[in-house]
This record gives sequence, structure tokens and C-alpha cells, in this order.
Amino acid sequence: MPQTDVSQRASTGPRSQWRPALPLLLPAYLWLTVAIFLPLSAMAFFSFMTELPLSGKPWAFTLANYAAFFEKSFYAVLLRDSLRLALEVTLWCALLGFPCAYVLAKILKGRSREAIFLLVILPFWSNGLVRVFSWAIALRGNGLLDRTLNAILPFQVNVDLMFSYPAIVIGLVHSYLPYMVLTCYLTLQAIDDSLIEAARSLGASRFTVLRRLIIPLSLPGLVAGSVLIFVPVVGSFMEPRILGGRAGTFYGTVIEDQFVAVFNWPLGAALSFILLAVVLIILGAASPILKRAA
Amino acid sequence: MAGVQVHGVSKTFGLHRALDEVSVDFADGGFYALLGPSGSGKTTLLRMIAGFDFPDAGRIVIGDEGVERVPVERRRIGMVFQNYALFPNMSVADNVAFGLSVRGEAKTDIAREVKQALDLVQLEELGQRRPHQLSGGQRQRVALARAIVTRPRVLLLDEPLSALDKALRVDMQIELKRIQREVGITTIFVTHDQEEALTMSDRIGILRDGRLVQEGPPEEIYNSPASEFAATFLGDANILRGKASEEGIELGDGTVIRCCNAGHNPAANSSCAVRPERIRIEAAESPEASSGENRLKARVTKRIFAGNSTTYFLDRDGQTLKVLVQNSGGESVADGADVMLYWPAESSVLVA
Amino acid sequence: MMGTTRLLELLGRAFVGLMLAFLYLPIFIMALMSFNASPFYQLPMDWTTSWYEALARNSGLIDATWNSLRIAVLTTVIATILGTAASLALRRYVFPGKRLLRALLFPPIAIPWLITGTAMLIFFFGVGIGRGLHAIVLGHVALALPYVIVVVSARLETFAPEYEEAARSLGATQWQVTTRVTLPWIAPGVVAGALFAFAVSFDQFVVSYFLSTPGEATLPVEIYAAIRKGFTPEINAVSTIIMTVSMGSMLLAARFFRFGGEK
Repeated sequence: MPQTDVSQRASTGPRSQWRPALPLLLPAYLWLTVAIFLPLSAMAFFSFMTELPLSGKPWAFTLANYAAFFEKSFYAVLLRDSLRLALEVTLWCALLGFPCAYVLAKILKGRSREAIFLLVILPFWSNGLVRVFSWAIALRGNGLLDRTLNAILPFQVNVDLMFSYPAIVIGLVHSYLPYMVLTCYLTLQAIDDSLIEAARSLGASRFTVLRRLIIPLSLPGLVAGSVLIFVPVVGSFMEPRILGGRAGTFYGTVIEDQFVAVFNWPLGAALSFILLAVVLIILGAASPILKRAA
Repeated sequence: MAGVQVHGVSKTFGLHRALDEVSVDFADGGFYALLGPSGSGKTTLLRMIAGFDFPDAGRIVIGDEGVERVPVERRRIGMVFQNYALFPNMSVADNVAFGLSVRGEAKTDIAREVKQALDLVQLEELGQRRPHQLSGGQRQRVALARAIVTRPRVLLLDEPLSALDKALRVDMQIELKRIQREVGITTIFVTHDQEEALTMSDRIGILRDGRLVQEGPPEEIYNSPASEFAATFLGDANILRGKASEEGIELGDGTVIRCCNAGHNPAANSSCAVRPERIRIEAAESPEASSGENRLKARVTKRIFAGNSTTYFLDRDGQTLKVLVQNSGGESVADGADVMLYWPAESSVLVA
Repeated sequence: MMGTTRLLELLGRAFVGLMLAFLYLPIFIMALMSFNASPFYQLPMDWTTSWYEALARNSGLIDATWNSLRIAVLTTVIATILGTAASLALRRYVFPGKRLLRALLFPPIAIPWLITGTAMLIFFFGVGIGRGLHAIVLGHVALALPYVIVVVSARLETFAPEYEEAARSLGATQWQVTTRVTLPWIAPGVVAGALFAFAVSFDQFVVSYFLSTPGEATLPVEIYAAIRKGFTPEINAVSTIIMTVSMGSMLLAARFFRFGGEK
């Protein structure tokens, strides 16, 4: 009863307290406006121009930048490649990350859990570029990894993966795996062990418990992790450049080129906006499951 | 110390009229309970006296200062919150010292006054503990010490005992009353627990839907409730409805119920309230009954034995009446028995 | 029964072990190779510290490191102050549009940095802010702010509004309430938010890359440029140092705040 008194106070009165809130909010949101929201709007605007207005050249509104995407299959194919890459990386992260999160949440206990959790999350706090670079050294032919593996294994393997598609996948999985472990761990930890015991006592096999109970209950974590991985990987350009070499041309690298090499900013803006649309569709599709979790 | 006067205070939240022209005079040094169901406006009134909310209309006077526009930190009030709101990152002593220290008092004075306050609430040993290391009753005492150490003009208590279990609550009622007397501070106490209001306060104000429906000493409200709501919210009451008559009310079957305040309420339809413990049950027509007593025929439908007393539920013309009989060793009345109920005219009160 | 369970648990532990190997092996190899005299990572190892000595003379990389540190510290200070203030307002006051303000924190986190980075480049260039270290700070603070607000807000959720009311009823002014009651309580959240902000800025490559100019770049941008020109073992050395420092400081931080683990 006293509780309702409190909630009524909060809910019944749209007593606007804008005035004291404004000085605290304004600096942060002004900053976000100048550095995020205005730039995104400006990019939308520029993507419909023939030239940058500031370049001094004459400019006009045009749909040509978007037409370029749909007329030349080149960009669409690259976008498809990027989507496939993102899908593969996400799948690998789920396949590796979910079992790892499960072991952390349900098998390991106490200090060892804490320590291993920290070890899994630690790389996540270190420089992403440097971690990708480290694979560039590890994956070189005749490198340390190559030699060690061939010395241990009874058969010959070729780990000269540098500048290949698998190298890009390995580097990206390495970069984004901790996200999946973290999100799955959080949802798995929230599952009460007694639920699993109850299911087992009702005669469910381990596999049934996994399929009917654990995976559905941890789905929000899997989806959150997948979104956190898929979205940036679609737009990745640094990893394919470093690890892929010539095999590393993707949608992200083409956008990068428009801005740093070709200097066709309006086209780059249009390509970025098409990518943003794809990202928004993915986020929109995932949001019902994510909302259910929250 | 100071009295508090609330004059015609109104407050609207959105479409909800939380307080509707409420006026109360809280006497200096008195212990006043604001009683009402949830949503009645009692907490809003308390928060307005504290200064967390400001009235849309009306005046609030503490001592002789009009404070309705003064923010809470300058009102010099003490408040105990429902969940105590002890600062979790400070020790008990630091919690109690907080009000003195934000005022910038000297460290030695603060230490002395904190010790005095903790002595008063009998927690002198626990100054270095953290709030989470205390029991519910101890937290309550710390909250009280913190509120009174600054010598506020008025002490405001927002359902301070509701988080405690029954036995502890009774102890704390006594303790709170002792401390209040010792300090002599004007105290306003919000509660939805009628027993708490009856046992602790000098005066009670009953609120309903943002209005003050009755106000007065506990005995007066209990013995002469002004409305059905007051009669049933504060204590238990049988409500009989009928037409107003010279002597009291006339029930549907022509029976006249005499009431002590007859004639004051000339409304066509009236109700009268009778407390369950005022009614006497007799197995049959009683020769002892004086001619001035009210009498009603009824049938026992259920009995609940509670050791020192028995509650009877009786049926009269489809209405259930309640009678509380002290266990004085006499014979009890069986279920299904037809009985007569008697009570003196001064025990029934016409209510609005 | 028992046997199967133990076997499965053992397999699970082995799997986690393999995954840790996958996560740390390349970093270990990189660290090892930074002590190898052969610039082409020839084996067997020929131990040397010459790459670290060369690094000490590489003014480009050293300048970039200082730039990165200065930008990260500045970003941390600004984002933590602005973010904490905004979190306080979002928690403390009731006003229309609050849900929208909370929702606006989402795009900077969710939109790929490639898109935000190029958008910043276009806009800053267009309005005359231009590129350079100031533009990088502008961008980094915007990227770090939502993280700070989310982390500090999470901590504020555990702070009942009654604490502030109690402090005010005891005579504390708004400023005293904030500095003596609210901030001490949310301090762990503010420190965690600041760590986030530092990490976001110091590790940031994409946005810095689009906003930097040849003379004014951060360490990741310099490293990227060097990698694209061709591997140099000095990059190896500087990468090893970054890795050691950032992981070491996180390990230290983890001793103070328990991330994950038992609740």
C-alpha cells in the first residue's frame, strides 16, 4: 500500500522538471548532436549530391549515387559477400562462444570461474587492431604456428593462411568472440539450476534439456551476441585489409576507398547509408527477442 | 519546537486531485496521526509539510513562518522515511551526524550531539556499524536519531513502522512515544494502520480521497464517528440504515433505533453506527433490559472464539451484524440460535 | 550416470582451455617475435631487444602514442563528467521526452563505426571543424558518452530517491546532496564508466582513422599505416607493449571491481 503511494507520485503527475534537468542534460546531448546526429543527417544530405558543395565545383541533387549501387552488380555482390562473411563469423562465434559460456556459467565454480571469465573477457579490453595484427604474424607460412603444428601432428598441415578468406574469418572470430561469451554467460547464469534438475527429474535427457530448456531460455543472449557481432562485421574494413590482402575486398573496404583513396564522398555516403539501412533492418528484426529479455 | 498549521491546501497531479482544501492545526508538542487508505492523500500532505511537494493553493505555516514556498532543506524539519533511507555508504554515527555536518557545526559539538542522540535511542554501542549490519528495529532507531539530532521544529514520520514485524512494531510504538515525550517535539505520523493511530496519537486526522473527513482525539473519533467511512475505517462498526426519525432512525420494518445524537441530522435517509463490543446478546427477551435500550432480533450464523473474547456473526433481515463478547465465563450462545441484541441509545451514533 | 557427467564436464573444461589457447596464442606469438632479430620472423629464434631500441628512436610512433594517451585522458575526463551529469538528470527528474533521450544513446553504440566515422568526416569537413586531434576528441567523447551514461545509470538504479530526500530533509543543499550522498554512492559506477571511456578512446581505430591527418594521428592509425606499408618488427614491439599495458591495467582494475563471477 505505501508502495502505491510512491508510484502514484511518480506516474500521476507529468510535473515537468525540465528546468533543473536541462543544465545537466544539455552538454552531453549537445555533444552527441554535434558529433553523431548532425553528421548522420549531413551524410544523408550529401548522398544525394553530385559533388561536395565545399569543393568549389558546381553541384546538384542527384539519385546517381544510389543508382550506382543498383545498376552495377559490383556493389551488391560485395554487400552480399560482406553479409555472408558476417553470417559465418557470427555462426563460428556462437558455436565456440555458447559452449564456453555454458561451461563458465554452469560447470566452473568460485575462483576458477572468476579467473577464466576474466581471461576470456580480457582481450576485449585490448586494442582490436593489434589483435588482428598478431594473427598476421601467427598465420604466416613457415611461421611459429606452422612449424609447431607440423612438429606435433603426424601429418603435414599447411597453415599458410595469410591473405586468404579463412584468415579474415579467424581474425574476426578472434575479435568478436568475447561479445558472444559475455552475452550468453549473462543469460545462462540467470537460469536457475533447479530448472535443469526439475527437467532431468521428469525424465528429460541431457540433449532434451539443452534443446527444450537451455537454448530457448538463453536465446536472448545468443541473439544479443549475434547482433553485436553481425552489425560491425558487415561494416568491417580493417580486418579484411590486414588479413585478406587481395582476397580482402569487401563492402566496408570499398566505402573506405571512397573516403581515403578515390575521394568520391557522395558515393561513399550513399554506400554508407545503404549499409545503415541493412543494419537497421537487422536491429529491427532482432528487437522483439531482445525486448522480451529486458 | 513549533506547531504546524495547514490552511486550505490543494494539490492536483495531472487529473488526480491528491489534496482538496485540507486544513489541519497541528498543536505544538502534540503527536498527530494522519490516517487513511492508500491514495487518500496522507503521504502527499506529509511530503508537502516536509517541502518535497508544493501546494497549488493554500498555506502551510511552521511556527509563525509561512513555508509553502520554502524548499525542504530550509524548513528545519526532521523526517523518518518508510524504508528509513539510511545512507548505505556511511556508518551509523556518520548518518546521525549528517544533518549537523552539512550545517557546518564544529566536529566536537557534532560528536557530542551524535552521542546524545544515540543514547536517546539506546544505540550508543553501534555508532561504527554500517546500516546493512543492523536489524530492522535498530535501523528505525538510527533513522529517528538522525531526524531529531538537528533539533527540527517538527518531526515527520512516513509509515515508519510498516516494515517491521508485528511484535517489534508494538515495542517500537512504545519506544517512539517515549522518545517523542522526552524530546517534546511536534510529531506528524502517517499510517494506514488504525491500531497504531489509536494507541500512539493525541489527535487523529482521517483522510479520504484527498479530503480531511474527521479530526479529533482518538476517543472522540472512535466514540462519535462523523461518517460511515470514519466509523468503519477506525475500528469495527455495524451500520444500520433507515429513515431519520425524532429519536434516531427507523429501519425498514418499523423498528426505531435510538441514537445519542438524534435530531442533529434531519436527512431523509440516515445510517447509524454501533460498535460490536457495545452490543449485548441475550438468549431471549430479557427482563433486565431497560426501556430506553435499543433491541433487535437476530440469528447467530457463525462464532469465532479468540480466547479472551468471542465474535458472533448474526443475521438480521439479510444483514450481517457483528458482536464482540468478552469471555467472562458465562454461557455461550449456539450457532443457529435466535437471540435478542441490546445496546443503550448512547452507543449508537448517527453518521453521514 | 556419474561417469558421463564427469566426462562431459571434463570435455567442457578442455574446450574452454582450447578456446583460451585460441584467444592468447597469436598474442603470445607476436610478443615472442618482437624479440626475434629476424625481420621476417625466421626460426629458430635469435633473441634481441633491438626492435624495442629502434622503437625508442621512432619519433613518429612515440608522438602517436602521446597523442593517443592525451586524447584518451581528455575523452575520459569530458565523457565522464558530461555522462555522469546526464545520468543524474535522467534519474532525478521527471520530464517528458525522457524515453526518447534514453533511446538516443543507442545509435552511437549500435551503428558501425565505419558509418559514424565517415559521417563525422563529411560533417566536420563541411562545417569547418576539419580533421585533426580536436576532431578526434570530439568524435571519441561522443562514442564514449553513451557507455558512461549506461554504466552510471545502472549504478544509479540501485540508489533510492529517498536517500536524496532524506539528505535534503536534514538541511543539505542540492550541491551537498550531490557531493556528499549521491556521488560517493555511485563512485564505483563512475570509475567503471571512466574505464570504459578510456578503453573506447584508446582502442578506437576506425573513427580516428577517418578524422586524422598525416601529422596528427593516434597510435592505432600509425600502426595501420605501417602495416599497410609492409610489416616492420617495430610495430610488433609497440603492439606488444600496448597489449601488456592494457591487459595489465585491466587485470589491476579487475582486482578492485569484480567483473562477472559470483554475484
